[in-house]
Amino acid sequence: MNSKTLKVLATVVVMVGALGGLMYNSLVEGTEYYKHVDEVMTDPEAWYGKKLQLHGFVVEKSIMRKPGTLEHIFQIQNEGHVVNARYTGIVPDTFQDNSEVVIKGYLGPDGFMVEPGGVMAKCPSKYEAAQARPSGN
Amino acid sequence: MPALGTFALLASFVACAYAIAACVAGARRRSTPLVESGVGAFYLVTALLTVATGVLLHALVAGNYAIKYVQRVSNDAQPLAYKIAAYWGGLDGSILFWAFLLGIFGTIAVHINRERHRELIPYVVAVVAVTEMFFVFLMVVHNNPFSTFLADAPTEGAGLNPLLQNFYMAIHPPALYLGFVGMTIPFAFGMAALITGHLDDAWIRAVRRWTMIGWMFLTIGLGLGMLWAYEELGWGGYWAWDPVENAALLPWFTATAFLHSVMVQERRGMLRVWNVTLVILTFFLTIFGTFMTRSGVVQSVHAFGEDPELALMFTVFMLTLLVVSFGFVIYRLPLLRARNELDSWASREAAFLANNWILLFSAFFVLFATMYPTLSEAIRGERLTVGPPFFNKWMLPVGLILLLLTGIGPLLAWRKSTVQNLVHQFLWPAVAAVVTGMALVLAGVRVWASGICFALCAWVFVTIVQEFVRGARVRKQTTGTDMFTALVGLFGRSRRRYAGYIVHLGIVLMFFGFAGEGFKQEVEVNLAPGQEVTVGAFTVRHDALRVTTDAQKQMITGHVSVFEDGKPLGTMTPAKWFFERRPQEPTTEVAIRRAVGEDLYIVLAGFEVPTQQAFYKVTVSPLVNWVWFGLGVMVIGCIIAMLPESVFAVAVAKVPEGAATTTLLVLALLMPVSLQAHGHDQDAQVASVDPNSALFKALEAEIRCTCGGCRAPMNDCPMGPSCHGLAAQREKLARFLAQGMSRDEVLAAFVADHGSQEVLMRPIDEGFNRLLWLFPYALGGTALVGVALLARRWSRRPDEVETPSPPETPEDEALLERLNDELRDLD
Repeated sequence: MNSKTLKVLATVVVMVGALGGLMYNSLVEGTEYYKHVDEVMTDPEAWYGKKLQLHGFVVEKSIMRKPGTLEHIFQIQNEGHVVNARYTGIVPDTFQDNSEVVIKGYLGPDGFMVEPGGVMAKCPSKYEAAQARPSGN
Repeated sequence: MPALGTFALLASFVACAYAIAACVAGARRRSTPLVESGVGAFYLVTALLTVATGVLLHALVAGNYAIKYVQRVSNDAQPLAYKIAAYWGGLDGSILFWAFLLGIFGTIAVHINRERHRELIPYVVAVVAVTEMFFVFLMVVHNNPFSTFLADAPTEGAGLNPLLQNFYMAIHPPALYLGFVGMTIPFAFGMAALITGHLDDAWIRAVRRWTMIGWMFLTIGLGLGMLWAYEELGWGGYWAWDPVENAALLPWFTATAFLHSVMVQERRGMLRVWNVTLVILTFFLTIFGTFMTRSGVVQSVHAFGEDPELALMFTVFMLTLLVVSFGFVIYRLPLLRARNELDSWASREAAFLANNWILLFSAFFVLFATMYPTLSEAIRGERLTVGPPFFNKWMLPVGLILLLLTGIGPLLAWRKSTVQNLVHQFLWPAVAAVVTGMALVLAGVRVWASGICFALCAWVFVTIVQEFVRGARVRKQTTGTDMFTALVGLFGRSRRRYAGYIVHLGIVLMFFGFAGEGFKQEVEVNLAPGQEVTVGAFTVRHDALRVTTDAQKQMITGHVSVFEDGKPLGTMTPAKWFFERRPQEPTTEVAIRRAVGEDLYIVLAGFEVPTQQAFYKVTVSPLVNWVWFGLGVMVIGCIIAMLPESVFAVAVAKVPEGAATTTLLVLALLMPVSLQAHGHDQDAQVASVDPNSALFKALEAEIRCTCGGCRAPMNDCPMGPSCHGLAAQREKLARFLAQGMSRDEVLAAFVADHGSQEVLMRPIDEGFNRLLWLFPYALGGTALVGVALLARRWSRRPDEVETPSPPETPEDEALLERLNDELRDLD
């Protein structure tokens, strides 16, 4: 192996190592767990303080807003497990009873605190209508 | 009819298969007739796909709801434009659209290059035909857009998702598809070169131009997507690292890298493996992007539904693609050896290499982060996600480095730049950057990323201006014309180089707009009538909440008064529309007040009708419009790069003294002509105020009678001539027309008089009115083309050889030398 190849190799190793290290570091900070309500609520304490994206369905008639403010409290559920959530801010148009939502924030003893802008409601229809597509149609 | 569509698909599948077989066999046996028949079959595929497209469009427009696809994406109430847009609004149709565009592109490319690249053509046809075959196969076995209901065909369709029913959604996907499909042609040429072993630089020339075209459409598509997000989605931004947006960005990165590194290959014979790899990667990423958005692999607001079967077919195709194409690269490695080595890091090829590495890193980073949820689920069994902050953290510095390189690369000499050379080139740009930076610090600008961005924008801007000024000055001396002709002459002599600078200028303007993001202000408030909120320099007062309905929807409109530093600016009307057919999905109608400096962006987020309270999200976003402006400049740059050389003939040709003024004269002549044309248009529309005129009648059908309960248009009021409101309304209409107003102006005047769009039978389709912003660009484009055409006719053949007069200073000599160096072996 001549010295030129060695130099190139060393550069590549250092660069890739540095980038990889940085990436791993920022990934650890940047990642959020993506969980369904039931996965989390079977053992809620284990998830306290971890950044979560919680996937579930809005419990019917659970959305309440303090009149004249943007403070919302609501419940979301999945497979029988329910969690209380608290959010201040504007909710998307499709955030309604029974709609499928993903909320972003932290779980604590008194429920799920949703961070600003952390309510995402799935579109009931995407490009295609919501009908399931049986294969081979 | 649907049977005809299905037949066309099946026939095109067969024709594709024949084209591939005939071309490959013909090329191997050196049988021209066989190849010719293959090419013929290839053209036939395009014809068949055109038939299929025609059938589908007819079904959409005529409302043939027996076809499942038509039933899903169209209905009678949809305006014609959206009936047509429904063609690519759903999954099956979008695949047909893809194949159809590929057919058109492929046919054009093959037809243009059939003589020049005779030995490559059979394989080009085969590769394009394989890709077409894949998409046709998808339709035939899985997503036939022509499949019908067997019994009980419905008589009405579900209609296109309201979110998609707007101007940008109607033109954004076609632009993106054109970009995606355009990337197939370079890939086909690359593969043909690899297969035949004709890896001299001839194929590169064919590929470069097609990549440029694809790149331009991709840029337009991405830009329109950003505009759509900004104007329709109502969250106040334009880029959120959504997987579907990312899918289109990935090939953009690799194509940009290719457009730069290809120059290194042309000039220095280096990076040949690299270039082939980039071409393959770009194509792969377009297919991968299609796969990502259509198979449900990633979650996104605007992905199509989940479809594991489709995902499987795509996976098989992509794997085959990778194995076969990289297999050929390895097989041909001996032919792809570089002719030169890197001489110095202070050379242009090194700068381009750095730019390539960064662009490729960007592509892989975005790919990795986009696929991260899927990857982590596959590896750790736990779905982890990363959000926009993660993307921004990485892409922000990467973007700034790229911007820096935009200013460095073009100024370095090939091979090696001397220190003297560097000082000469970078003195003024560096001064500009430092001065801007200092000024920002003194002015107390706090956001560091934006500050650096502004300084870098100044840096790149000055480099570009410097290049133009120096180049033009040298040309002026050597040809003895005026500055303007010299400037146009620069484009004539080195079109790609200077058009590239224009594209770079567009990039600078865009980054200038991006930097504005750092100063964005956002407030969410709940206001009772009379209450106000202040954001930045703007004060917004909530006046009232109005509920109105029309045939399609209920509209909740917030009326707000806006003040800037205490001065009233008028009213704005953010709204929410509830379509009857889809009450669960209201659309947000954002109110935007545009300005060069900053946009005021108001969204009606929620409301309480009984108390008249409204929730507003008010955003002040500085410099946003520079992003769109930069985009326009980039596209103009691309178009200049693709214009044929002869367009610039007038400025390059050695013409007598008078010629300098000729160009100016032509320009001066053309401007009023195009303006006049516009004026003409209006004259025609004014017509007379004859109540029987076509315009008068048309408007009567569009404006609602105000007599009260009837809600009928003016020409159909049940109260007839005795209606009290009608006479006044007619008089008003006649008066407006007498003032010479056009149709749109009359409607606007009625709306203004009435206070809302309720007076119209249907709301003004703002989407298509937005086409107006295209007008200045179109005007500029027409003028340019006009000048070019005239110039071409007027100028003599440039058969005299230019004899450059000796330059005066050594400084110019060095530049002239460099300039000629650049110009020498460009086509």
